[in-house]
Amino acid sequence: MPWTAHDRPFLDPAVVARLGTLELKARTVVEGLLSGLHRSPFKGFSVEFAEYRQYIPGDDLHTIDWKVYARSDRYYIKKFEEETNLDCHLMLDVSGSMGYGSHHSMSKFEYGACLAASLGYLMNRQRDAVGLTAFDENIVAMLPASSRPGHLLALLVTLDRLKTAHKTDVAKPLHLLADTLTKRGIVVLISDLLDNPEEIIRGLKHFQFRGVDVIVFHVLDHDEIEFPFERATRFEDLETSEEIMAVPGAVRAHYLEQMGGLIERYRRELGACGIDYQLLDTNRPLELALLAYLSTRSRAL
Amino acid sequence: MLSFLSPLFLAGAALAAVPIVLHLLKREPEARVKFAAVRLLKQAPVEHTEKRHLRELLLLALRITALLLLALAFARPFFATGAALGSSGLTIVALDRSYSVSAPGRFERAKQLAKDAIAGAPAGDLVGVVTFADEAEIAAKPSADRVLAAAAIDQAVPGFGATRYRAALSAAAQNLNGRKGTIVVVTDLQENGWDAGDRASVPEGTTIAVADVGAMPPNLAVTAVRPLADRLVATVHNGSTRARDARVHLAIDNRPAVDATVPLGPNQSAEATFAGAPRGAAATVTVDDVDGIQADNVRYAVLGGTNKPSVLVISGSGDLGRDAFYVQHALAAGTPAAAAFQVTGVGGAQLSAWSEDRLASHAAVVLLSTRGLERRGRELLGAYTRNGGGMLVAAGADVDGSIIADVLGAGSTLRVVTTGTRPEPRALAPTDVRHPVFQPFAGNAATLGLVTFQNASRIGGTGCQTLARFTTGDEALVECPSGDGRTLVLASDLDNRWNDFPLHATFVPFLHEVVRYLASARAHASEYFVGDAPAGVQRAPGIVTVGDPAVAAGTRRIAVNVDPREADPARITVEDFQSAVTRLKAAGGVEARVEARQQEDRQHLWQYALALMVLLLAGEGLLAARTA
Repeated sequence: MPWTAHDRPFLDPAVVARLGTLELKARTVVEGLLSGLHRSPFKGFSVEFAEYRQYIPGDDLHTIDWKVYARSDRYYIKKFEEETNLDCHLMLDVSGSMGYGSHHSMSKFEYGACLAASLGYLMNRQRDAVGLTAFDENIVAMLPASSRPGHLLALLVTLDRLKTAHKTDVAKPLHLLADTLTKRGIVVLISDLLDNPEEIIRGLKHFQFRGVDVIVFHVLDHDEIEFPFERATRFEDLETSEEIMAVPGAVRAHYLEQMGGLIERYRRELGACGIDYQLLDTNRPLELALLAYLSTRSRAL
Repeated sequence: MLSFLSPLFLAGAALAAVPIVLHLLKREPEARVKFAAVRLLKQAPVEHTEKRHLRELLLLALRITALLLLALAFARPFFATGAALGSSGLTIVALDRSYSVSAPGRFERAKQLAKDAIAGAPAGDLVGVVTFADEAEIAAKPSADRVLAAAAIDQAVPGFGATRYRAALSAAAQNLNGRKGTIVVVTDLQENGWDAGDRASVPEGTTIAVADVGAMPPNLAVTAVRPLADRLVATVHNGSTRARDARVHLAIDNRPAVDATVPLGPNQSAEATFAGAPRGAAATVTVDDVDGIQADNVRYAVLGGTNKPSVLVISGSGDLGRDAFYVQHALAAGTPAAAAFQVTGVGGAQLSAWSEDRLASHAAVVLLSTRGLERRGRELLGAYTRNGGGMLVAAGADVDGSIIADVLGAGSTLRVVTTGTRPEPRALAPTDVRHPVFQPFAGNAATLGLVTFQNASRIGGTGCQTLARFTTGDEALVECPSGDGRTLVLASDLDNRWNDFPLHATFVPFLHEVVRYLASARAHASEYFVGDAPAGVQRAPGIVTVGDPAVAAGTRRIAVNVDPREADPARITVEDFQSAVTRLKAAGGVEARVEARQQEDRQHLWQYALALMVLLLAGEGLLAARTA
């Protein structure tokens, strides 16, 4: 059953973007998401008792302590410290193309970093080991997976220091990371995937080969999806600085066809090999991405 | 040449600046966007900037052209020809060919001056040639062909007419057709070229230039030959500043009879008296003058002939003092000797007793009443008009339309209805100002409009020519052919009952011209000037036999002489000449505008302009859709 949250609306990325630190953003997103979930995402992950809490509607009935009920005639649920041995690797694309952001939303990099921080926060809360690999055409930053309490801070600091700059080569870091993984876990790829799809898919399949579950967050700006430009525009490539003069009205159809084909190819080919693919519009709430992660994680356990 | 009916709308072409200004104002700097997915754009069919720029310029041109075409359509363009061709200049050369320029060497000088005027016309001007004496003739219509104009001048020869500047200027002004231009009058500036109070009208803006041929050389002229009961008196004039003895010769029926010598002081006239000659003979008086004008050296006379045409006025009772007071006094205006016509009155009933010859002896008939006009009288009148007589019918209350129809016979289409009209003030407006009847009013025809007609008959006929209409649109004066004669019908009376015409100054000249016109078809004067000679008579001095031997009136001999006033050497200055010319505001402009409108109506160029504009806008729409 997919993870859903209907009680309150998700946070607008524009609102999240205005929050101060990355940690605050991550906590706001994650806590907001968790408080809205109809069931705990952490059920059965640990046997180490933490505390009792009075039952509130929505709690899993399995967690009610019937002995306490017999004694006190009140419903209490037992809370446990969640603890797993799941390793999560966040792979964040910091290539130049991720720096694109239309004026009304976060850039793809900001969105991806916020998503990575939120995922890290979420993973840290559920005692999953979380690591971070930032890459462009090479690996530019790497934080091994760990579930130590102070590891989240290190992860946030690392994310905070990242900047976009160079060209993309998604496949190369994928293969490098896949070769280094020794444990089963989850790899979360956050990228705009504006590279050779064949190479990317081959790199992701490498993880599959190593028994690692993969979830791909395909982060695209709304303008990249809709191509809403009107006036004749000189488009400059963020990575190569190559310029091209185009009349949007004349090239829109072809562009949308190309972009749609790219997205469809990822969706089709990654789905075929069991890799979760999630297209993220930087205008859409981050919580959706977290819900997608939770679905994958529950399947991985 | 392309002209415009409403050229002010061309100012709307300034709207063409609107798309240009918008193009410049809305010209935004080229947008630059740093974009991630450029690699996807590279595979798209990218439109080149230059191609787009070219397309935008084409769009701009289409829009501007569309606006220009819109302005052009509203300006109502047309290709002007003739009168509507108002933009090019026009030079009309009026060459005096009266006999006063016929002295040796003078006409050659006049022709040279005329050619110089043609050559000196501004480049691009059309040129035309008018020759004139008593009447003006178009020798060369306005055209760009100056050789043709020069050839027309070369072909001109001096005639026997007298100088009439008004005829020349009127003809030249007609050729201008409302355009601005120059009229060059090549003349010897004779004072007699302008009649007393005579004026000519030309369109406003017309330049009048005078090329002076020079003063007349010393000249002797026979200015009059008066047959008296027992003698013949010839008047000889010395037009030079020195005294001369004039040698005068008389010939009777082309046979030399007697000579006389007349001493003449400077610019003086003297008479030579010859013994009487038989009645009906043709007398020719000549004077020896080799160096002067030849045309005035001879004068002809038919001895015993009357000089005044007789006009018969038919009224109810025949008492002209009672029935035709105004008509009688108008026709017999002046002293008995100077009166232009002999007026005779007869009642309708008495006419039946007349013979055909008696009626035929009258030059013209004025029919004021049909009362008492019996069948015999109607037949006489019908025969009179069919045999070349002229009749004026004043269709007033005393005239019965059915009797008029009976008089004119079954062949006539003229219909006169003298009852059933409603009293309504109306004025008279000539429709054909060139008709001889309206000659005295040339340029002042509007004065006839001052006459108020309270009542009028309905007149008209399919074969009749309308000479004037009332302001109500009804026919006021028509001319209907009647055999060899002429019949003029005025749709009102001449007796101050249905109108106040007799009280206006225009009444006398109008009536004189009408009667003169009617009488000219059956003239009974024995002497004519060349310019007034009856139709069919050659415009040259001499003794001529006129009339048809087959008709009852028979034939008669008349003398045709040059107008002696032309021998008067008195001259006017160029300034005096100019002062006699009136510039009429838009006199010809209206005609030109009407012509222009008619031409524009025929061509409909504005429709093509609008159609082209619509096509351009359609193309602009398609191109704009592709460029957006």
